[in-house]
Amino acid sequence: MTFLEWLQATALGTMVAESLWGYPLFETLHTLGMAMLVAALGLINLRVLGYKAELPILGTRDLLPLAWLGFTINLISGVALFTSDAVYFWNSYTFRIKLALILLGGINAFLLGRSVFHEAQISGGRYAATTGVKWIAASSLVFWLGAIIAGRLIAYAP
Amino acid sequence: MEILVWLENSALSDIVRTVAWVYPAVETAHYIGLAFLVGAIMLIDLRLLGIAKTLPIGSMIGLLPWVWVGFIINVASGSVMFIYGATGFGVNRAFWLKMIFLALAGINALIFTLAASRSGSAWVDGGQVPAFVRVVATASLVLWVCVVTTGRWMAYI
Repeated sequence: MTFLEWLQATALGTMVAESLWGYPLFETLHTLGMAMLVAALGLINLRVLGYKAELPILGTRDLLPLAWLGFTINLISGVALFTSDAVYFWNSYTFRIKLALILLGGINAFLLGRSVFHEAQISGGRYAATTGVKWIAASSLVFWLGAIIAGRLIAYAP
Repeated sequence: MEILVWLENSALSDIVRTVAWVYPAVETAHYIGLAFLVGAIMLIDLRLLGIAKTLPIGSMIGLLPWVWVGFIINVASGSVMFIYGATGFGVNRAFWLKMIFLALAGINALIFTLAASRSGSAWVDGGQVPAFVRVVATASLVLWVCVVTTGRWMAYI
């Protein structure tokens, strides 16, 4: 038995797959966590691109806990959903594309957080994004949007 | 219900049934609309409840256009999905619960708008957020969580 088959056979895997409420519950959590994560990171990225310039750039850092909360909800609910049909998900190209997009989005968020908030702090809150940083912000929006799309399509296109 | 049968036999349903990519595309649009709508509402309500206090309330309320864009995307995409599966969704209890929660969320937003215009908006420019605003913001969060939950559950009952 492979690791994925074992995962599917665990108590969690069978519960999510077979109980009446398991799959819809974790799917609902995954949807709410997605909205929280994408909204918080999306607003930070848009602010870096110049949207709502009156928002203090350092103030948008207070949205990071929301992004982390959404990410944590989705990591947990995502693992639970994954265990219900681990072999299918692991072999799904849309699932792999989604994971790759999340990884890229995460790397971007890390890079952006380091440069933007660091520089804004040194300059006492003033900040003008360089072209490079704007590219990171813009590509982040594309990655997260892509992750939502790929996520929804796992059910249709293995 | 004749109208449900009529909807399900309409030309639009036919397109959704015969063109394979339409349903997944519409469903994906519904998720993106949800992210705009519920995401922006979460940011606004949580700010009213005291999260990220250095962000001006007025600017955060200025995120409302995202809510409207998300709402329009989801009414459009939701209608297509409903028409396609009208005879099923029309008698689906989770669907009608979702509609009730949506209506309540709308009434809640209306109360907020009316009460806010009457109370004056000094709190928007800084200062203490009135208790009724915090109650309305909490109700809004709860109602939208219920809308998402019942919406997801439609596929399972």
